[in-house]
Amino acid sequence: MSNGTQGGQSGIIPRAYKSGSIVYMEGDKSDNIYIMKSGRVILTTKKVEDRIWVEVKENVKPGEFFGVKSALGRYPRDETAQTFGDTVVLVLSLAEFERLILKNLNVVKKMLRVFSNQLRRIGKTVREVLGETDAVNPEVELFKIGEYYFKAGRNKQALHAFKKYIEYYPDSRNSGAAKQRIKALQSGQSGDDDFMSDDSDDFSSSSYDAGSADMTDFSLDDEPGGSNFDDLVDDGGSRPQRSPLSSEMDEFLMEDDDAGGASDDLSDFSFDEPGAGGSKQEDINEIFYEGMRLFSEEQFSEAKTLYEKVLDFKTLKNEGERKTFEKAHFEIGRCYYKMKNYREALNSFSALLKKFPTSDHAKNTMLYIGIVFEDNGNVDKAAGYYKKASEMEPKDQINKEAVNRLARLQKNQGRR
Amino acid sequence: MIQLDNPIFDKFTVEYEPNELIFCEFEPGNEFYVIQTGRIKIVKIINNNEKTLDVLKPGDIFGEMAVLEEEPRSASAIAMEKSRLLKFHRDNFDALLQGNPQIAYKLLVIFSKRIYDAKRRLMILLLEEPQLKVMDVLNMLSEEDPHLDLGGPIVLQVTIQEVANWAGMQINEVQKILTHFNQLGKIELFNDKIHVKNIRDFMRVVNSRRKSSFQ
Repeated sequence: MSNGTQGGQSGIIPRAYKSGSIVYMEGDKSDNIYIMKSGRVILTTKKVEDRIWVEVKENVKPGEFFGVKSALGRYPRDETAQTFGDTVVLVLSLAEFERLILKNLNVVKKMLRVFSNQLRRIGKTVREVLGETDAVNPEVELFKIGEYYFKAGRNKQALHAFKKYIEYYPDSRNSGAAKQRIKALQSGQSGDDDFMSDDSDDFSSSSYDAGSADMTDFSLDDEPGGSNFDDLVDDGGSRPQRSPLSSEMDEFLMEDDDAGGASDDLSDFSFDEPGAGGSKQEDINEIFYEGMRLFSEEQFSEAKTLYEKVLDFKTLKNEGERKTFEKAHFEIGRCYYKMKNYREALNSFSALLKKFPTSDHAKNTMLYIGIVFEDNGNVDKAAGYYKKASEMEPKDQINKEAVNRLARLQKNQGRR
Repeated sequence: MIQLDNPIFDKFTVEYEPNELIFCEFEPGNEFYVIQTGRIKIVKIINNNEKTLDVLKPGDIFGEMAVLEEEPRSASAIAMEKSRLLKFHRDNFDALLQGNPQIAYKLLVIFSKRIYDAKRRLMILLLEEPQLKVMDVLNMLSEEDPHLDLGGPIVLQVTIQEVANWAGMQINEVQKILTHFNQLGKIELFNDKIHVKNIRDFMRVVNSRRKSSFQ
């Protein structure tokens, strides 16, 4: 590195080490990058060979960089650097490194090549460990992506995938089918344009401003070709009468009447007592976590059924079970939310707030009520609930989420 | 942020309408992109559902793996709003660098992070006991957020499915282990997050095991 040696003027410091000194240890955090000037540095790192970590030693030659990846990526050192014989290294800050390499593009390109190779090697090992050596067939998978978007009524995306498919695999097994799909899409046979594209976003993702105007009419459920949600929204009876929802939702939350839906159900439900009639003893937590598993697999309707089963428990043995019972109320609301049954979602959320006003989940529930309102275009109500959630103690990530959502709403309103 | 206002780049400019697919998972890719205006969503179809992996903003680069090798895209990129991008073919990479070395620096950073993430994941996968794998996924997630105070209880935004993916395990098995931790009072499980009472406990257990199997 010819430039490195003139470092004195530009703030790059030469540092001398005695033999056997540690320049840095594995696990250290630092954003210094080093250039070998004279002497010898040995890097001790771990690599995977045959699924076992083995120690590998590497010599750094004069003029070479070390400590680059961990400094750039801002993670702990994953190797130890030790000197062998009297050694001088140049120490660079990130800014100095940037300045230096921008003048030496060949060095950058070489590094990129080295990094890319490493990444590929590690990726290969990961796949081997996961048993994914028989690689997926991109041809088949590309077609499947097209089918996914086609079935979801998202024409633009489907068209893109099928066109690429024909472009890259003109003679393959599915090319005829792909051509037919393209024809169908171009003649407008499938669902119209794809305003659904945001519906699978988690609320935690930062993609927010998907025009809420699109959502007010709940036309999602009407998508031809069937979205994934069709089969989940099984209480279809409530679907036709959609428009006055916002005002109704309000009533649910304002109701003073204490006997909200869920608790009624609870009282006149006869549950098989544990051990009775040979039915095996059911554990409330097991049912709950099974529900959780289903939820994380996005089987919301099935998850809801299990959470509802939790609410059937009449005797709660301890504090832990009581907590689970309480939590199930919230999770039922979230299942309904995911199923886009907003009315029932609000029902469940408000039931929780009424039955357990001091619940640990009250804040999250407030946030979710706000989200439901926002999804339905009722910005004022949404803002009100976000504000409430943002002020509740103890402060954590939920408050932050509420604050962010509130700020975004206000910003969007200002724009209008 | 990378500013590429030079008119020389006009011929590389491409525009996308909202919801338009820029590239599609599994399609061969030879180009990478720099966002000028608009936001781009990176998504992947997992278990027949579209998952958002990331939302990118002006100045961000995506499709960068195509810079150096020819592999099918590992995720799809969709314009969230009207977006203007610069699109570069691998063959133009050198020319691009001449005028805009800061792109190279940005790519170095991206690659560094990716290498670390892949290595970190490998460390999880190579643990033998399933419990340790699950613990180490939580460790990894806690390490990723520099703002967490690891001395106290922390909240990790993650689902059981995601933990299972990271650990390379079946979701049923992961669920059992997490339920067990929950019963021991080590964690509290939610649908979309996990509260960990003392992550340092988990780190200590995993590190001591890793060390002893290493020496």
